[in-house]
Amino acid sequence: MKKLIAILLSAIMVLGLAACGPTQTGIDTENLEVHEEVTGKVVIYTSMYQDIIEALQVTLDKVFPNCEIEFFQGGTGTIQSKVTGELEGGKLGCDILMVAEPSYALELKEMGLLHAYKSPEAESLAFDYDPEGYWYPVRISNMVLAYNPEKFSKDEVADSLKDFAYNENLKGMISMSNPLTSGTALASAVALSSNYGYEYFDALAKQEVMIESGSVALTKLETGECKEIMILEESVLKKREEEQSKIECIYPTDGTIVCPSPIMTIKDEMSANANSAACEVITDWFLSQVGQSAIVKGWMHSVRSDYPEPPYDAIATKEITANEMPIDWEFCYKNRSEVRTAFEERVKLPEG
Amino acid sequence: MAKSAAVAAPAPKKKFYFDVKWIIISAIILFLVVFEVFPLLYLVYRAFFPEGSFSLEAFARVYTYKLNWTALSNTIITASASMILGVIIAFPLAWLIGRTNLYFKKFFRTLFVMTYMVPPYVGAMAWLRLLNPTVGILNQWLAKIFNLSEMPFNIYSVGGLIWVLTTFYYPYAFITISRAMEKMDPSLEEASKISGASPLKTVATITMPMMMPSIVAAALLVFVSAASCYGIPSIIGAPGNVDTVTTRIIDFVYLGSSEGLSDATTLAVFLMLVANIILYLSTFVVGRKQYITVSGKSTRPNIVDLGKWRIPVTALVIIFAIIVVGIPFATVFATSFTTNMGKSLFEAGNFTTKYWQVVFTRQQILNSAKNSIISASVAATAGIVISCVMAYLLTRTRAKGRHIPDFLITLGSGTPSIVIALGLIMTMNGKFIINIYNTLFIMIVAYMIKYLMMGMRTIVSAMSQIHESLEEAAQISGAGWIKRFKDITIPLIAPSVVAGWFLIFMPCFYELTMSTLLYSTDTKTIGFELYQYQTYHSQQTASAMASAILIFVVLVNWLLNKVTKGKFSI
Amino acid sequence: MATIKIDKVRKCFGNVEVLKEFNQVFEDKEFVTLLGPSGCGKTTMLRMLAGFEKPTSGTITIDDKVVSSDKTFVPPEKRDIGMVFQSYAVWPHMTVFDNIAYPLKIKKMPKEEIKKKVEEIMEVVHLSQYADRIPSQLSGGQQQRVALGRALVAEPNLLLLDEPLSNLDAKLRESMRFEIKAIQRKLGISVVYVTHDQVEAMTMSDKVVVINDGIIQQVGPPMEIYRHPANQFVAAFVGKIDFIKGEAADGRINITGTDQYIDYDGELTGKVVVAIRPESIHLCKEGSKLHGVLDNKTFMGDVNDCYMRLPNGKGVRIIAPPETYDDYEIGEPIGINFDTFHVYEDDGTDAATKIVT
Repeated sequence: MKKLIAILLSAIMVLGLAACGPTQTGIDTENLEVHEEVTGKVVIYTSMYQDIIEALQVTLDKVFPNCEIEFFQGGTGTIQSKVTGELEGGKLGCDILMVAEPSYALELKEMGLLHAYKSPEAESLAFDYDPEGYWYPVRISNMVLAYNPEKFSKDEVADSLKDFAYNENLKGMISMSNPLTSGTALASAVALSSNYGYEYFDALAKQEVMIESGSVALTKLETGECKEIMILEESVLKKREEEQSKIECIYPTDGTIVCPSPIMTIKDEMSANANSAACEVITDWFLSQVGQSAIVKGWMHSVRSDYPEPPYDAIATKEITANEMPIDWEFCYKNRSEVRTAFEERVKLPEG
Repeated sequence: MAKSAAVAAPAPKKKFYFDVKWIIISAIILFLVVFEVFPLLYLVYRAFFPEGSFSLEAFARVYTYKLNWTALSNTIITASASMILGVIIAFPLAWLIGRTNLYFKKFFRTLFVMTYMVPPYVGAMAWLRLLNPTVGILNQWLAKIFNLSEMPFNIYSVGGLIWVLTTFYYPYAFITISRAMEKMDPSLEEASKISGASPLKTVATITMPMMMPSIVAAALLVFVSAASCYGIPSIIGAPGNVDTVTTRIIDFVYLGSSEGLSDATTLAVFLMLVANIILYLSTFVVGRKQYITVSGKSTRPNIVDLGKWRIPVTALVIIFAIIVVGIPFATVFATSFTTNMGKSLFEAGNFTTKYWQVVFTRQQILNSAKNSIISASVAATAGIVISCVMAYLLTRTRAKGRHIPDFLITLGSGTPSIVIALGLIMTMNGKFIINIYNTLFIMIVAYMIKYLMMGMRTIVSAMSQIHESLEEAAQISGAGWIKRFKDITIPLIAPSVVAGWFLIFMPCFYELTMSTLLYSTDTKTIGFELYQYQTYHSQQTASAMASAILIFVVLVNWLLNKVTKGKFSI
Repeated sequence: MATIKIDKVRKCFGNVEVLKEFNQVFEDKEFVTLLGPSGCGKTTMLRMLAGFEKPTSGTITIDDKVVSSDKTFVPPEKRDIGMVFQSYAVWPHMTVFDNIAYPLKIKKMPKEEIKKKVEEIMEVVHLSQYADRIPSQLSGGQQQRVALGRALVAEPNLLLLDEPLSNLDAKLRESMRFEIKAIQRKLGISVVYVTHDQVEAMTMSDKVVVINDGIIQQVGPPMEIYRHPANQFVAAFVGKIDFIKGEAADGRINITGTDQYIDYDGELTGKVVVAIRPESIHLCKEGSKLHGVLDNKTFMGDVNDCYMRLPNGKGVRIIAPPETYDDYEIGEPIGINFDTFHVYEDDGTDAATKIVT
């Protein structure tokens, strides 16, 4: 037993030593404006990718040298259940929330959990924000279609979301994320059912759509198991840039589903560190040009009207928003569970 | 007769006297009540009193929903089938490896136990690549060989789920059964042979019945693990719309609403009930059939000569090993070096080591690995200490109240991980005095509650096979309770203790479901990290991580073997 | 010094009373054997002396120290007793030396002293050359001697032996009997020995306690137990015996189912059982007390073993030197004579046929 523990301890030490190795550098670290006045601690719950967070962390440490900023990364579902669990205890474990889509912000606002703050950056935003300052969009995630030109030609796959569900050539070879766990997938389900009715879900069921996460779906595109998938644009861009993947996005002809992901501050009475002063500055920084450049580096689109560069080799943000599938976020918030149930029943239990 | 009567005898009536055993029992009970019973009761309370007043609304809602019923039946079917298949595979393997002159026995043992050391969801991923109905590698190969027009297998089905669950949970049974097998008094088998029974007949009529308590324990372990597994059904089941109770519970939890939480709890009550009813029925049955097979009389283990069957049987085991261990592990390993999964690893420019670099340079991964090693080690060590004490109390004493912690430990392991995590989140955040939220301690507590039984059952079965007189001899020599335990019992059950430690350590090390809810920035675990990479970021990185874990385990096993001169290994 | 007082000790397992009121005093340096069939309660009594079982009621005193009563209970590890278990209970993970040294290590004796004492004891139990072996490399008899050595090494005043020889072969059992007895004399300790083997009880004991059904049947030195069994059970259990049913009246006993009788001047009347040891029977042609037909004879070397069938069909076993009936043929009418016999009231139990060992 003792020997065993000794072995494990030495293993830990080896890992610890390895941990001192090199870390990734963040974005343009030269000429950053440093906010030394911001102090204390801030915990951010976010659904952004881990690698984006690691890069951001390096930058944030430089910009806010006196403030300890911690990230907690998880899918929207994870974050929501964590928040719900924490609410039971009367207090949240975070100060800032950055989730996938605005309907959760509407809900939290109505629950009276949010801190209102009028950001000076608000006027530069190209997307809707809360007029009272409870939340601001901070990054744009787009739900698109994707295919692998190395396995199938573009003619073989759907060019619209409608065709995706009705093109019989795709049967058994399409995939999408689970609206029960993913915020953007839920938003998409709401948008699609508003536009095409619940019959759209029936059509998906007939297509034998596979419900799974983005990375799994992308691999299925690569191997040819899937012909086409519904996925976040950023996942495809990341794969294209990092792995020189040939997988391509198709911006649906019937409109891309655009999700402006909000940033919001929890009010001091409910937050982990009651540090709304610091949160305000951090919010401003995220909304600023510099902050947005970090977002764009993370393969998402900027929310600023004065930041036209798209991430990696994506098409321009304007082009996407020009053909956008409309979503009523208020409706999304109010009818979330109804849409979820409809999806579940129609896709998972098609015969009943 | 006098001796067997003594075993079954209740405590003699006596006046109160002070007993150190009660302090220990009370301490264990206190720990379990605070960290297990209270949170679970709180959850049940919440299921019935969602808004502070009594309501059966959640029950009505959950149990009238057809999807939930499908999930319930899927869970029962898959868990029962993997339990049966798991034991059918594990028993002959354990016998062949433990008691016969099979070739490469030692190698096989390590190999099969190794499956236990790999996170099941990684294996699921490998099988998904091998047996998916459109481009599954193995499927295509089989179709080609046998000239089939359709793919022979579809992994996205209940059958596929059973297959993957079985291949990843049979080691639980294998470990449990082989430990007991090695302890069996060979003269019992010799007696059968001398009576004219063939080796096969001996196994069926003597070995198997003698091993029944271990077999039942093993079967239960497989059942409970398979029924409360989330990783495999979420990866295998989701694409084919095969839901299980665990995936439904997670779905409900991820709704993020308090209604979702109530529904999750309500559904979880079912899983708790089924698991615990089965556990208790069989504990009751097994509890009445205690065979003492290790006597104070020392004997050499005998080895059955397979004779002309030696080579064919070895070949069979090799084929099994290739299918169950070789192919999926090779797939995982190959994936970790592949840039484009749509192409062969050997195609130009498709081989890369960058995912391995990511594993060893990314701060977050290393931190998570450290967190997991710490929390799993602490949970396993504390768990094994409790297991030893409990095993002693259960098999050797008639101390009053010793069945209470036993019950609670069994209850904990029968409770779905997600429920334990939920309960802990809701109660351990300072609302009720204790605040361990966002610390490693909450992980350790959760791990212990969930996996303590694995250690306890292993040690109880080892202990129940050691003749009581060995300890009595020490007692009459003047050794007190603790000294006897240390000098006699522990050394005799040491291999089981090591096995038990790993049985707790490994699932804690790559634990996924509870960590998903309990982690915070500083306390992310490797299991969660791995799952995240697997499903959201990069399967190749996940494969590299899984391979690294595997190599680490092999290394530890090798070191352990070297240091203890072959006495202990996994 | 080890005087054991057992006062009104009872033991129940659940509702089953396995030992009814047990009152005995075992003197210092006495070799006491608890003899009886399986399940008679003898092992339970021994385990209560050791402290592995608690009496349901009653008091046990060892050397004027109460070790077990309603109020006090001294656990086995505090009783300073040596014990040898039926299954040896030799620890498989320790060498012979470590096994034997264990009680001394518990006493925290200095290392050199332990070595000296263990070597002495290994000499006594003839294990000196096996010190470094582990038990699985030893034969059953050697393992048994390890257990004995371990029980003796701490020089206990009281040694408990629980059927220690039952797992050994006949030859070894015989030599171990003498060894145990010799060691007991040499070390001058008290021994309580449990067995169902009457030969062991006869050859080793100073005092034999015959137990059946949780009740003491007779207590006494071996010779007295053998020669004057207190009841039918003891007579049957200790040694071989022939029981012949009859009716006592007017100074004689009429043998049931025959017209034969034997003279009797005892006090019993009515239905009785006559008990005769086969070896005290002589064969004769004339002047016999009882007569019948020679049914069977077995040549055994030192003695012959044969049966005479009485007219009522009952077989009487006779053990006698072979030359005394070499001449008789099977089927030939013969007669028997005997000097000593016992007469018991017929309790109708047919005890002799019901003993299970």
